[in-house]
Amino acid sequence: MTSPRALAWRRRGDALAAGWRQFARQRSGLFGLGLLVLIVLLAVFAPVLTDREGLNVIKATGGPLESPSWEFPLGTDRQGRSVLLLTLWGARMSLTVGFVAALLSIGIGTVIGILAAHYGKWVSAGLMRITDFFLVLPSLVLAIALSTVLNPGIGTVILAIGITSWPPSARLVRAQTLTIEARPYIERSRALGGGHLHVITKHVLPAVLPLVFVNTTLAVGSAIVAESTLSFLGLGDPNPMRPSWGSMLRSAWLDSAVIAGAWWYLLPPGIAIAIVVLAFTMCGRALESVLNPRLREG
Amino acid sequence: MALLELDDLTVRYGGRARAVEAVRGVSLTLDAGETLGLAGESGCGKSTLAMSVLRLLPASATIEGRILLDGEDVTTMKWGRLRAVRWTTASIVFQGAMHALNPVRRVREQIAEPIVLHADTPPSAAAVGKRVDALLAQVELPVAKGEAYPHELSGGQKQRVMIAMALACDPRLVIADEPTTALDVIVQAQVLSLMSRLVAEQDIGLVMISHDLAVLASTCRRLAVMYEGRLVEEGISTSVIADPRHAHTRSLAAAFPTVGDPVYRYAPATSNELGLPEPPEPVSAGVEPLLRAEDVRVTFTGRGRREVTHAVAGVDLDVWRGEIVALVGQSGSGKTTLARTILGLQHATGGRVLFDGEPVPASSKGLRAYRRQVQLVLQDPTSALNPRHSVYESVAEGLRIHRVGGDEHAHVAAALEAAELRPPEEFMPLLPHQLSGGQRQRVVIAGALALEPRLLVADEPVASLDASVRGEILALLLRLRAKLGLAALVITHDLGLAWNIADRVAVMYQGELVEVGPVDEVLSNPRHEYTKSLLAALPTTEATVGER
Amino acid sequence: MSDILTPTEEALAEAPPPKRGGGALRYLLTKVGGGLVSLALVIVLGFLLFRVLPGDPVLTMTRGRPASKEQIAELEAQLGLDKPLIAQFFDYLWRLLHGDLGESYVFRVPVTQKILERLGPTLLLVGTATVIAVALGLWLGTRSAWRRDTRFDRVSTSVALALWSTPTFFLGLLLMAATSGWFPTAGMVYSDTPPDFFAQALDIAHHMVLPTITLVAVVYAQYQLVMRSSLLEEMGADYLTTARAKGLRDDLVRRRHAVPNALLPTVTLVFLHMGFVVAGAITTETVFSWPGLGLLTYDALEKRDLPLLTGTFIVLAGAVIVMNVFADILYRVLDPRVRAS
Repeated sequence: MTSPRALAWRRRGDALAAGWRQFARQRSGLFGLGLLVLIVLLAVFAPVLTDREGLNVIKATGGPLESPSWEFPLGTDRQGRSVLLLTLWGARMSLTVGFVAALLSIGIGTVIGILAAHYGKWVSAGLMRITDFFLVLPSLVLAIALSTVLNPGIGTVILAIGITSWPPSARLVRAQTLTIEARPYIERSRALGGGHLHVITKHVLPAVLPLVFVNTTLAVGSAIVAESTLSFLGLGDPNPMRPSWGSMLRSAWLDSAVIAGAWWYLLPPGIAIAIVVLAFTMCGRALESVLNPRLREG
Repeated sequence: MALLELDDLTVRYGGRARAVEAVRGVSLTLDAGETLGLAGESGCGKSTLAMSVLRLLPASATIEGRILLDGEDVTTMKWGRLRAVRWTTASIVFQGAMHALNPVRRVREQIAEPIVLHADTPPSAAAVGKRVDALLAQVELPVAKGEAYPHELSGGQKQRVMIAMALACDPRLVIADEPTTALDVIVQAQVLSLMSRLVAEQDIGLVMISHDLAVLASTCRRLAVMYEGRLVEEGISTSVIADPRHAHTRSLAAAFPTVGDPVYRYAPATSNELGLPEPPEPVSAGVEPLLRAEDVRVTFTGRGRREVTHAVAGVDLDVWRGEIVALVGQSGSGKTTLARTILGLQHATGGRVLFDGEPVPASSKGLRAYRRQVQLVLQDPTSALNPRHSVYESVAEGLRIHRVGGDEHAHVAAALEAAELRPPEEFMPLLPHQLSGGQRQRVVIAGALALEPRLLVADEPVASLDASVRGEILALLLRLRAKLGLAALVITHDLGLAWNIADRVAVMYQGELVEVGPVDEVLSNPRHEYTKSLLAALPTTEATVGER
Repeated sequence: MSDILTPTEEALAEAPPPKRGGGALRYLLTKVGGGLVSLALVIVLGFLLFRVLPGDPVLTMTRGRPASKEQIAELEAQLGLDKPLIAQFFDYLWRLLHGDLGESYVFRVPVTQKILERLGPTLLLVGTATVIAVALGLWLGTRSAWRRDTRFDRVSTSVALALWSTPTFFLGLLLMAATSGWFPTAGMVYSDTPPDFFAQALDIAHHMVLPTITLVAVVYAQYQLVMRSSLLEEMGADYLTTARAKGLRDDLVRRRHAVPNALLPTVTLVFLHMGFVVAGAITTETVFSWPGLGLLTYDALEKRDLPLLTGTFIVLAGAVIVMNVFADILYRVLDPRVRAS
């Protein structure tokens, strides 16, 4: 006879497989996932596929704002660097910031959300007061303020995005936790003698995690947009060897690419942002419909 | 001509490939001014049947057969005609008025809406207002209540509004879908008598749907019983109840015992071959009670110091070893709060609870030890089990919390065995949604039994179960008491349940115990006014509702 | 849940109707009080962010620019950096209470004056865009939810998602490139436009087209998605079955019953997303050089003009907080259930 624990794991495996089948049935989600895998692979293997020295302004080989050619498939920027190379390396920066900032923000949000819902009165009231305050504050304005006064760099950008964008997820996790904690099985667990830790780890967390997962997927998209906005405003990483899509758009704008008709300079980074964010959003929505039965087709 | 005639009606849900038949070939007729009760358990298709009369089913449903409403076939009506027929020929009193009323509009507007909609010429505002006032008066609501929003009304008042709304366009047929399910006994009796009176006065045909045979028998002349989509029995109410022919009708009829009838004493309806234990020996007083509540008080303070609610206002209650005590009261009487206080889930603001002579500890460590002794069984087993945990995990949860040593698997198997889930190995890997309602409640009980408690606190343990399962769970409680000497405090609004299994009954009203004593004594010869009114409100098969 | 909080049937029947007046006043006071606390927090945050966090504000302000000793000393004196932090804070508070946010380092004029000057154009742009976006978003959201899974739903939802995924400034740049020459792409008014009212208004409207389209495009999508999901949530509600049973036409069921209920959560979210609109305004104004608060913020951060940044931070954050207090009050007017509790 198999042990109950093994059975439990097999059941989890089955549930995962069933979830995947549900997910795979949604074309847009699958499409988004495919795109993401491709882009992440390109970003990860950029150092293998290309030579980083091409980013060096001094060693640039092309002329300024050259239109697409065999040598530079997406043309060159004002400094004569390949836009294709910049876009590829920009993906590394944008994705890194997106992932880390989203994890930071969701992490803070989840902890605060669960604590605010689980512990009564004062803890909850205090935490929610803080959350509501930061929820209402326009996050970009706060992020601008933070990245203006701190030393510019990738860390500042991540910090600025991460600690300004957690309140919505805190609210969401709190609401979900409250729903779970109102269920009688929590009361049963307490009546059995379960303490705070038992209730949170055995009942609340497993029920909240799917939501957190969906939320992270969606948050990466928002974080990438936020990074591009900060970089566009000149608050990104100033190192020209570490371009991001946002900082490319900034240079395109400052170099009057629009007026010069240099579409190859403007379009690639912008479209790249839109595609990646859209892919994350599609994945997130597909996941949501798998994990949230209420949204499933009835 | 019949007012309503169902001719071989079949309703399917879902696509052709995976169609589920909710109603299978039902034929029924109802004459003008006649009353018909439609009984059945959840999922038997009775609500689908009701909705199909006005074609209110979701788009995924397909209807076969004919539904003749006043001679016209509803299934082939054009949309325009159907809309005109809705509410003017037939109207519906929905289940759970809480959700069936629009929360952001005043009830007056909602009652007036169909009047304006179905008028040939737009009526004047004054005329509509007068009509709504008259309707409110008919359902015995003060006219001022029309200005209220649904959330400002109590459950009974909302149901009255639903009835007023249903009568707004002088329909010839009213369909009432579980109109009193969520209500207390006394309010239920009021609403039922009101509905019977109005229907009789205005010569309206009534189809009432319920899972409770007693409710139907007290309101309707004829009774039809549905089971798995089919009509299994139909006839005059009194004769169906007195002499049920179909097995399912018999189990439905037996599930709601007649209080005071010795046949049902210590005898919940069960078909289990284990049978029922002998009635217990009367408990000898003098020995120390297992549980003793002394002047327990619980006070809730709302916002602003003035809004103080005395949920439990000084309660003394004993439970002896191996005794089953029923704590009876309406919702809002404070019985659940008292139970939570006994379990240490709620702090008492006054008095104390003694278990085995010792005060219930307040420290979290002491409480944990205490909770091995006293276990809780909740009302709704569906939500009392974590949907992600298997039966094994749910039963083992208590063992793991208390770090009970030994063979966990053996403990779980023994607990499942004790709750009569056999063979235990087959149930262990299942998830709650794979079980029936009764099995889920057994899992909850097994989870409690795993810790070998001495007292079980059961909060409405069968209220959300189907009638036929109800008796089985109650019989299990009786057998557990006989076998393990387990004492139980059963909280319920249902006097029949007390009559079925309890030794003593405590009647709670507005936070106080108004009457405590042996079941036979209290229920046969009530002394307090409130107990009397509770007993009077019980629907009876002899159709004597409302004459209080 | 404990069943104790519902009074008995008889008690409710006798109970006087809830007092509206007192409750309303208390609600108002709580919400306004909460808003005031938030405003105070913003002011404190403004001090912490721009005076304490940088360590040496003067260094931040002069970063990347050569500055003589005299200039630095002058700046330090002007910001009051020679005093202890606590004294600086009370000085800052005192001046703020008198509407004094200090002098802009770049423009050499009082910050308050600069902000007031830029307030009008921002209100014009954001106001116009919000009204259009709310109308468009709610309409599209209602339609796509009611006709779920039709072509209309799929197309409009996809478009909304695509626009939501695009950074505002990129959309602005794209619009600029796509419509090159048709609309002015910078500023609010040409300097050679005759000073009479109609000519000015026409010219401003002409300048406003592109920034408004940009802002609407990024903002309406949110409203549409929120309205769509909140209406979908309502669509299973029992009271809609009641409405259908009464014989109401489908569009009446939607208009009278479903939409009013679905609007409630939407209203809250529309206001909670005001911060998003502000973010959009900053980048849109920057791209189109629209002379509003957003562009002012950009200029300030470009030049590290900390007093000016403090000013725009407080004004922008404060405006959103005030909007949210309004939202809470509006919500109470719309939802009778909030009124009762």
